[in-house]
Amino acid sequence: MSVFSESIVTKINGYLGRYETKRSSILPILHELQDEYGWIKPEHLKGLSEEFGLPEVQVNEVATFYSMYRLEEPKKYRVLFCDNIVCHMMGADSAMAKIRHMIEDFEKKTGKPSPVSLQGVPCLGVCDGAPAMLVNKDRFLKVTEHNVQEIVSRYLDEASA
Amino acid sequence: MGNTTDKVKILTAFEGIANSRALATYQNHGGYEALKKALTMAPGDLIEIVKNSGIRGRGGAGFPAGLKWSFVPKAEGQKFLVCNNDEGEPGTFKDRYICELSPHMLIEGMAIAAYAIGAQKAYIYTRCEFYEEIAWLETAIKEAYSAGFLGKNIFGTAFSLEMDHYSGSGAYICGEETGLLSSLEGKKGQPKLKPPFPAVSGYLGKPTVVNNTETLASVPWIINNGADAYRAIGTEKAAGTKLFCISGPVQRPGVYELPLGYSFEKLLYEDAGGMLPGHTLKACIPGGASAPVLLPDELKGLTLDYESIAAKGSMLGSGAVMIIDTNTSMVRLMEIIANFFHHESCGQCTPCREGTGWIANIMHEIVSGHAKEEDVDRLAVIAKNMGGKTICALSDAAAMPTMAIVQKFGDELKAYIRKGKAS
Ligand SMILES: Cc1cc2nc3c(=O)[nH]c(=O)nc-3n(C[C@H](O)[C@H](O)[C@H](O)COP(=O)(O)O)c2cc1C
Ligand code: SF4
Ligand code: FES
Repeated sequence: MSVFSESIVTKINGYLGRYETKRSSILPILHELQDEYGWIKPEHLKGLSEEFGLPEVQVNEVATFYSMYRLEEPKKYRVLFCDNIVCHMMGADSAMAKIRHMIEDFEKKTGKPSPVSLQGVPCLGVCDGAPAMLVNKDRFLKVTEHNVQEIVSRYLDEASA
Repeated sequence: MGNTTDKVKILTAFEGIANSRALATYQNHGGYEALKKALTMAPGDLIEIVKNSGIRGRGGAGFPAGLKWSFVPKAEGQKFLVCNNDEGEPGTFKDRYICELSPHMLIEGMAIAAYAIGAQKAYIYTRCEFYEEIAWLETAIKEAYSAGFLGKNIFGTAFSLEMDHYSGSGAYICGEETGLLSSLEGKKGQPKLKPPFPAVSGYLGKPTVVNNTETLASVPWIINNGADAYRAIGTEKAAGTKLFCISGPVQRPGVYELPLGYSFEKLLYEDAGGMLPGHTLKACIPGGASAPVLLPDELKGLTLDYESIAAKGSMLGSGAVMIIDTNTSMVRLMEIIANFFHHESCGQCTPCREGTGWIANIMHEIVSGHAKEEDVDRLAVIAKNMGGKTICALSDAAAMPTMAIVQKFGDELKAYIRKGKAS
């Protein structure tokens, strides 16, 4: 039995033949797995070597080097807030503090774990819209302590509904 | 030859045009004519044109593009062209703008470059956080294939080119060209010692030219209009236009295409509309986080070109002009810069790995109120010992802004230490 679904197997095979070497397919395959399952599970790493012949050391090397791969089960919504130079000057600290507060509040009120996580990340390449954040793949610009409540509560409310 | 510092729209020619990303729009405005023309010329002549245009790499180092192309061995064989669309230098968001406005301008520039250097395969390597931009690029590549601008026998010539897109995964070091190539090979994005340079031994050990997105997107205009026309823009030593990303507490942050040699004050006060109300200029980092900070006095009369900024002890870098206001604590700013480089150091070289770690530690001590005034001088000593002995330029990139902040804002750092907080 494969640890991968049929559609993912097709995609993996596509990547394996797409580049000059099989090894180049590791990064895109890991992205694909993360898109499909939300994160990269230990059995995926093993499965890639057992089922597709990608050496486990090579796959692990990539999975651990790059910061955008998630190797632990994530929250449903992952907020990546830019805390670099420009976003800092434009108010990232207070917006992030607000999100942290909302997460704590949610957990206190509902007794449930928050579906939203918060992490600071380096410059997102959108400093003209600072402060900036990503929620999964969606980009939000000019996120300040004044409007962040409205954005993040959408994700929290969905879980408490 | 008369140089002009009047504005010319090359990279931003599609600003304000509806559906600017679509192939049809691009073609309605003369798109892919430069490629058609280029394919009637000898590759060596194209390299000469790009050399004579004077265009220098827009990724940060400013290396002459035509010269780099000429280093690729002329012998037949597998060769690659790679577009560095990693855009990780803090403060930089210009390559994103090219993806947003005119992905076909980049693809056309890449096809011309690939033909000039004899590459049969080209990659665009983009940071994965640019989700939307990547989708636009992938769409544009597909469109270019369907129209016959990529693939076999382009414009009925013997030239064939395959192009693919590749996503990074959150590592600043993959913006460094040899780190990028390691990543493209499916490895950790660790830089390699140069020489050999990628033009001789790059992706999979084959000759590979790595150029920044902005560099490559400038190529169609150069081929259409000629080297002299490009050289007439900018200054004697810095030809052409450059995308400047101005950010921070200014009225109109954004990307501005300006001739090199343009006035800094015009960019800040006219194009970007000046400071936001209630904000006062304290300093400016003119070329990304790696560039040493400049004081208001040093900014007076400054022109935006490689030589003028270098003369002030900083660098034009990627063209990321970060405006810093008096509400900003240089202690916190230095802490952010220190954490960034420490986090992004790949750890291969001791001076970089240890140096960035020590600087980050000291900054943490300062911010949390546990440092002594002597620690500020220690920052400078550590930074001085990080330069010139490493595989890539990240170590220097971390050391230079540190030295500048200590030199120019040492008093602010010490005052913070005495009080245990910002004044
Ligand atoms: C730490 C580090 C990060 C870099 N990041 C980028 C980047 O994000 N984009 C880029 O084009 N060049 C970056 N560079 C410069 C590249 O190594 C290389 O010089 C450039 O891609 C060459 O293209 P160009 O000559 O067209 O500028 C970086 C260099 C270093 C040392
Ligand atoms: S200088 Fe730093 S980032 Fe560059 S290779 Fe050495 S350790 Fe890695
Ligand atoms: S500093 Fe936050 S997006 Fe660039």
